[in-house]
Amino acid sequence: MNALRRHRALERIWGPRPGWRGKLTTVNNNDIGLMFLALAVTYFVIGGILAMLIRAQLATPRSAFMGPDVYNQVFTMHGVIMMFLFAIPLFEGLTVYLLPKMLGTRDLAFPRLSAFGFWCYAFGGALLILALLAGIAPDGGWFMYPPLSSTLGSPGINADFWLLGITFVEISAISASAEIVVTVLLYRAPGMSLDRLPIFAWYMLVVAMMILTGFPPLILGSTLLELERAFGMPFFQADAGGDSILWQHLFWLFGHPEVYIIFLPAAGVISTVLPVMARTTLLGYGWIVAAAVSLGILSFGIWVHHMYATGIPHMGLAFFSAASTLVAVPTGVQVFAWIGTLWKGRPEMHLPMLWILAFFATFVMGGLTGVMVAVVPFDWQSHDTYFIVAHLHYVLVGGFVFPMLAGLYYWLPNFTGRRRYFKLGKTAFWLVVVGFHGTFLLLHWAGLLGMRRRIDHIEPGSGWELINLLASIGGFVMAIGFALVLIDVVVNAVVAVRGRRNPWQAGTLEWAMPAPSPSYNLASIPKVHSRNPLHDDPDLPVRIARGEGYLGDPGSGLREILTVEIASGRPNSLVIFPTNSALPIVMAFVTGGLFVGMLIKAYWLVPLSLVGVAALGIWWAWSLGSREDQDSRPVGHGLVLPPATEVERPPGWWGSLFLLLADGVFFGSLLFGYAFLWTVAPNWPPPAWLEPGLRGPLLALGGAVLALGGIRLADRALRRDGGPWLGLLLSLAGLSALGAAAVTVLTRTSHDAHAYDATLWVVAGYVVFHATVAGLMTVFLALRAAGGYLSARRVGEARVVRLWTDYAVAVALLGLGAAWLPGVPT
Amino acid sequence: MTDILRIAVPLTAWLAAFSAVYGLQGLVCSPRWAEAGFDLAAGRAAMTAAWIAAAILQVAFLLALRSPRFASRSAFVRGVSLTLAVVALVATLWTLVPVVTTSACL
Repeated sequence: MNALRRHRALERIWGPRPGWRGKLTTVNNNDIGLMFLALAVTYFVIGGILAMLIRAQLATPRSAFMGPDVYNQVFTMHGVIMMFLFAIPLFEGLTVYLLPKMLGTRDLAFPRLSAFGFWCYAFGGALLILALLAGIAPDGGWFMYPPLSSTLGSPGINADFWLLGITFVEISAISASAEIVVTVLLYRAPGMSLDRLPIFAWYMLVVAMMILTGFPPLILGSTLLELERAFGMPFFQADAGGDSILWQHLFWLFGHPEVYIIFLPAAGVISTVLPVMARTTLLGYGWIVAAAVSLGILSFGIWVHHMYATGIPHMGLAFFSAASTLVAVPTGVQVFAWIGTLWKGRPEMHLPMLWILAFFATFVMGGLTGVMVAVVPFDWQSHDTYFIVAHLHYVLVGGFVFPMLAGLYYWLPNFTGRRRYFKLGKTAFWLVVVGFHGTFLLLHWAGLLGMRRRIDHIEPGSGWELINLLASIGGFVMAIGFALVLIDVVVNAVVAVRGRRNPWQAGTLEWAMPAPSPSYNLASIPKVHSRNPLHDDPDLPVRIARGEGYLGDPGSGLREILTVEIASGRPNSLVIFPTNSALPIVMAFVTGGLFVGMLIKAYWLVPLSLVGVAALGIWWAWSLGSREDQDSRPVGHGLVLPPATEVERPPGWWGSLFLLLADGVFFGSLLFGYAFLWTVAPNWPPPAWLEPGLRGPLLALGGAVLALGGIRLADRALRRDGGPWLGLLLSLAGLSALGAAAVTVLTRTSHDAHAYDATLWVVAGYVVFHATVAGLMTVFLALRAAGGYLSARRVGEARVVRLWTDYAVAVALLGLGAAWLPGVPT
Repeated sequence: MTDILRIAVPLTAWLAAFSAVYGLQGLVCSPRWAEAGFDLAAGRAAMTAAWIAAAILQVAFLLALRSPRFASRSAFVRGVSLTLAVVALVATLWTLVPVVTTSACL
């Protein structure tokens, strides 16, 4: 088969459906990645326009441009859009598009999950934009501190848009992260061992793990605050045993790692682009990996440095101040590795390099002011002033937007297949950089002069007038620069001349395919011998196109892809991916019913949507798998691999493992919140502790034994080619008993009596939910066994259900134990 | 997966210990600690003991990751995991040193 026929066959297999339906049903990483990027840029434009409205308002004293009501919505939505609808989706889009190419594979691990995540992002973001257009947008600050954001401070619907819209959007971040982790660990070109991973993949592995562990506290906080607003469960109301500081803990448990979640992908771009621009290889690859992992974990230990002014004891402040200064060390290691890379190379001053230099200057300045505010006495002086606003923008714009623009111009030829011809980009660069520093360098000064954040006007004679006027002029210059970047990119993408395949002479695999890349990315999958396969073998792209790698024969008509062993990169199994489907968009739409139902207080819609989601989930899972044992198949070069449906831990098991990691962090955060209220909140202890009695604990213990034993019995029977029925029945009975044990907690407490009762309701509800999910999965497994989808070799699905059952039992024992423990002595 | 764990576990243990000591400080400074019959000196002793235990755990990780039994076969993973174990040990010593240097509940 020649290269052209292979291309046509593979495009038929992997490409989207023709016409507009193709965009709605595609699950391909190229389409989803580009859709993410386009929508994120759209939100950036909206967020940027809001920023200009802010600067217009503050350009002159006592401006009548906006009233306080509108201003509050504008500055809140600017932060919300930039943090949640622009920054994270932008790098998700970049990763969804680029990561499979860099790893030398054809798609991400769970293509339908990618599409589902995108549609959740699109629908959730649309909710927020609709609120903005309708004048009922969130107005309590992007961090939504109660009591300002509770029904006491925000009785309208505005805050609900934040709580529900953002939680909806975060489903996409969790989905994308689970599959990024599984993709980096399992889906790579053969031979790509951990030490040969493209550095960007290491960063994204760290970032995805951070999202899985960083976002659940915020989702929990949003859930609790929405429950308080909707049903009067007083988690944050001091008079009923709650504490508004709990929100700050949950928010910043997410919020500080979030800064690194945004910075690390940008650092990944720098570490990828910089060596190419410097015509050398990255200095200190291992050190950079260690620094990225250190940053990823250390950044979780510094959330309280956003709360220095809340009255925390000195020792607590000292813990977090020490951790905050510590985090500068791995950041410094990275910066010095980059400087070393420049030192040993021969840097060429192309446009991506200019943006990298802008990043260096800006991010280092932002990092240094970060160390300043990590020191408690200084923070007490500058807290809630424009110094913090300026620091935040130096870190986020310097540390994220500038590197992403470097990445944009670096990968533009890969996206478009064209050579950048028009030179607007350099003008845009200077306008943005000068405008940015003109704005935010000055605002540091305003902050030091005492200008408070979030004020809707400045008073004449305050001493801040000239600074703000100049900062506003700088802001508009920057906005013109960004507009020019957009025009430059669009014009070059549309009308510039065709370019070479690898114009930068880079070594990574995303340049080993035609540009723009075909739907299947690689016509065949190469074997990799180093971190820069294209430097080892410049003819590799041609040999890939000729089908000389693995899976070069598209004769099966299926979406075939390889998995590898995590450490060594040895080929492990053959996966057949699902095809395009409307299921992701339909499921995202039905999931939206949960949030819209809560938003418009049509509570009947919530359980209805839950049933719909469960039904669609079953449909989704049912379409996978096989009714027959399949022989191992040749994948090229004499290699024969078993199908992934017949390995003990299929990709779905790994996906479940990482989703459960996020779930576990959510649960851990819930227990943390319970312990926090118990130790710190005023108006504790509650009027009465819940006495466990005998029935509940017996149901829980008996249920745990039955569920754990039953699913293992079923698993063992399946591996012997026997019927799993008895085991599944026992497991189902056990899960029902666990659910019943949790219901005893619900029936014996009143959800709105006290924060203690409300917490027990959430803990018990969580247990009921997980027992139900595991129960549904058990029933599903029984139906699959009856339908012939399981056998001694096809035990992967049983392993997935076992994982979820074990988790449900663990959280039931821990959660119910925590609920009953305080009542035991009484 | 074992190699990923070798890389991630020491710092994750630091995070767990750091959070636990911070939680312990919250408990020591809460009315519940006094209700349970303990005083502030007992609280500081408990936090110091937790700090020392966390440091010993990190030393154990460091030694284990050097030992033939637990070290990775990949030189790259061995190097990265040992570096991160040192980072975790330093982080444990540095970030928890306030348990013996500052006032506990002011």
